[in-house]
Amino acid sequence: MIRRILVLGTVLAASGAFAADQPSVQLEPTNLRGPRPLAKQTETAVVHDYLQAWQGMAAAMDQNRPDLLDQDFVGEAREKLAATIAEQTKLGVHVHYQDRTHDIKIVFYSPDGLSIQLVDLIEYDEQVLDHGKVVAVQPVHVRYVAVLTPTEVQWKVRILQSEPL
Amino acid sequence: MIRIACIFACILSATALPAPGQDASLDVPKSVVAGTAFSIPAAGSGKATLYIAGPDGVLKRDVQLGQPIAIAASDLDDAGHYIAVLASDSSSQTAQFDVIAANQPASISFLARPSRLPVDLQNGITGAVYVFDSYGNLITSPVPVNFELSVASAPAQTRTVVTNLGAAWTGMNSATKEGNAKFMAQAGNVSATRVIEQVPGEPCGLKMSAQKVGDKLNLVTEPLRDCGGNAVSDGTIVTFTETWDGGQTTVDVPLKRDIAQAEVPAHMGARLSVATGVVMGNEIRWEGKE
Amino acid sequence: MGGRFLAFVLAAATVALIVIGTVWPIPSAAAYAGITGPNTSYSTSTPEGAVDDLAHTIGQQNWGRAYSMLNNKSEFTQQQFINDIRGSYPGLRTYATLDTYEAQPLRATDNQAEVRLRLRWSTVVGTFLDTRDVQVVRNGDGWSPVWPLVKEQRVPPQVIPVNYLRWDVIYRGPGDDWGAQDVEAPHIRIVDMRPVQRAAGVAVLGEVLNEDVVPAFVSVKASLLRKDGSTLATEEAFDQISHLLLPKQVTPFLIMFPNAELSDVDSIHMDPTSNLIAASADPVVEIQNQKLSPAPYSVFSGDLSNQSGQIVNIAHVLATFYDQSGQLVWVGDQYIDRALQPQIPVPFSIPVPEDLARKVSSERAVVATYSNAAFQ
Repeated sequence: MIRRILVLGTVLAASGAFAADQPSVQLEPTNLRGPRPLAKQTETAVVHDYLQAWQGMAAAMDQNRPDLLDQDFVGEAREKLAATIAEQTKLGVHVHYQDRTHDIKIVFYSPDGLSIQLVDLIEYDEQVLDHGKVVAVQPVHVRYVAVLTPTEVQWKVRILQSEPL
Repeated sequence: MIRIACIFACILSATALPAPGQDASLDVPKSVVAGTAFSIPAAGSGKATLYIAGPDGVLKRDVQLGQPIAIAASDLDDAGHYIAVLASDSSSQTAQFDVIAANQPASISFLARPSRLPVDLQNGITGAVYVFDSYGNLITSPVPVNFELSVASAPAQTRTVVTNLGAAWTGMNSATKEGNAKFMAQAGNVSATRVIEQVPGEPCGLKMSAQKVGDKLNLVTEPLRDCGGNAVSDGTIVTFTETWDGGQTTVDVPLKRDIAQAEVPAHMGARLSVATGVVMGNEIRWEGKE
Repeated sequence: MGGRFLAFVLAAATVALIVIGTVWPIPSAAAYAGITGPNTSYSTSTPEGAVDDLAHTIGQQNWGRAYSMLNNKSEFTQQQFINDIRGSYPGLRTYATLDTYEAQPLRATDNQAEVRLRLRWSTVVGTFLDTRDVQVVRNGDGWSPVWPLVKEQRVPPQVIPVNYLRWDVIYRGPGDDWGAQDVEAPHIRIVDMRPVQRAAGVAVLGEVLNEDVVPAFVSVKASLLRKDGSTLATEEAFDQISHLLLPKQVTPFLIMFPNAELSDVDSIHMDPTSNLIAASADPVVEIQNQKLSPAPYSVFSGDLSNQSGQIVNIAHVLATFYDQSGQLVWVGDQYIDRALQPQIPVPFSIPVPEDLARKVSSERAVVATYSNAAFQ
């Protein structure tokens, strides 16, 4: 019985304050550059897929599993995140990301319909663990620029890059 | 039982996380250009471990306190937000900083559409550009991009557009004459070129003639052109129809060397018509000679 | 007591009928059920039995035996007999299997009879019927069929010069080179569309135009939407369309929604798709002598004449019927079961539903062709 409590306690401690809470999401009115109108359906799909990409990225970074990126990322973004995971694995480091708030605005829909750019003012917690031991927890408030491109069934993140506020 | 497990977990969690009061601020530049070296002062003595972590990269290094920690140009070249932690047995110092893209464009993604369009179409050609530095970071600071659409028969169309968050776009008109156009986008010293095929528009003035050859009628169109005088592409389907009392013959033939040609049975009094797509041509009533 | 006895009688009768049907099946039922083993025997003591035996043997593709059964085999070779049934050149007949057959006596004397043989062949695109009136003559104690061979016309050996026009496509290929240009898909447009309620369900008819200067492989999908915007059903014009469209070519299409009711439909969402495809402008097929016979048994018929030097293995005729105002009334189609040889006309006939045929004022036909050099 004591062993079961210890195992459960360790699991809970590992997840710690990073319970999978749903982030609060605010969508700003779009003010697009470019001639292509954005259908409501497209807007909804893009925001959905972008938020899902954050979940995918958090899981991939947490478990050091680059395969979890395939669902939501493509091209340069996938390669960079996969390289980070490879480095984390080599160093024995894990990073937990828990997004708390998103304030999203779609800013550009390319005329060919092959890319959508959005800006996200995001707040998340970042927890760095070295061989399972927490070395730091930091709340982060930053602005992300993301470019998503359509695939057969969904939008995937091709560029995900933060920049100073 | 679950309540006991939760209390136990909370105790473990509380002991695992450093108390906020123990953290001290680490002196790291607020922003660093991707691919540039910098150093972090590390006060104190003894050994410590430096962690730099973010979605775009992670670094872990054993360091000697009391000496500045050198971060080489190749260590951090992916733009993004990072947290830095200097952890020793007795203390932990943290900081947050940004790595930003270099301002010099090194590559561009040029999305030019369509690859093929009819002549003389206003804003029919569009180009969108994303500009990157040499590390593949999107350059979010403004960068002027030159767009140029050139054809052999007319002066080039040019536009300069400044990027907004790394992206710029433009629209161009297709030329009045068929042929390939070169569509170029240039940012700094980098450029990308796409080929746009400008093809003839809808056929204009479709006309045929009929001539009796044996017991058949040879139907031939005049060379088919669009309204701008461009020859309609070979392979375009032309439909000849012959209607007479109690019957009809149709034949779909492809345009070859600008003309379409077909043989149909010669029926006296037959009505002959020609069409391509939704464009109708002339009609002939066959009375023995045209 | 009476009930038990009745149950016993019914059970016994059922068993008896099963035994009778299994041991002495009627020929066409046996063929239909696949009971076509070598031990199945047919009596040639009657004209009908002799034709049954022949049909059964043809179904087994036992050409040697079938040929040996014929009374007039001296008039043609076994290969000519096979070609008559399966075609000289590869076509739908070549790969067809006999589904069912019927032998119907027409007339008979002591020494001669005539039996109408209907062979229903099964192919990947449906069934086709081959009807032959077979003379049967007395041969000793039995009867022997006289095969009504239809000699296939052959084109004399010759060289037909063709000014060959073809499009080849080089695609971007695999890899994620974002921003690199790919060849544009052809621009197509639905130029006409109309839903029609039929007994079998809702049919969505229409026409698609390739507006581009390159060939297109086209497909059309339609979704029936209810008043609340939800989808009632989604179907595709499977083979009732000419998928290959050359520049400025128009094809009709028909999308069938079985068991659907037009009254349940608020709107229809059309989804045409096109892909660039390597294609040839040849062969050209002329559709001659098109005629629409009047209702009630209205049939749109004509002859296909292959104007090229290339053999067309499978031809598919699609006909569009319009009313006086030029509105679409119906779309019909027929596959030609024999290969089209150059310059040799092959007839086709497409039945038109009686109620719609009365509205038809004009019609338009197109031919989709499939040629495979690997067949030849």
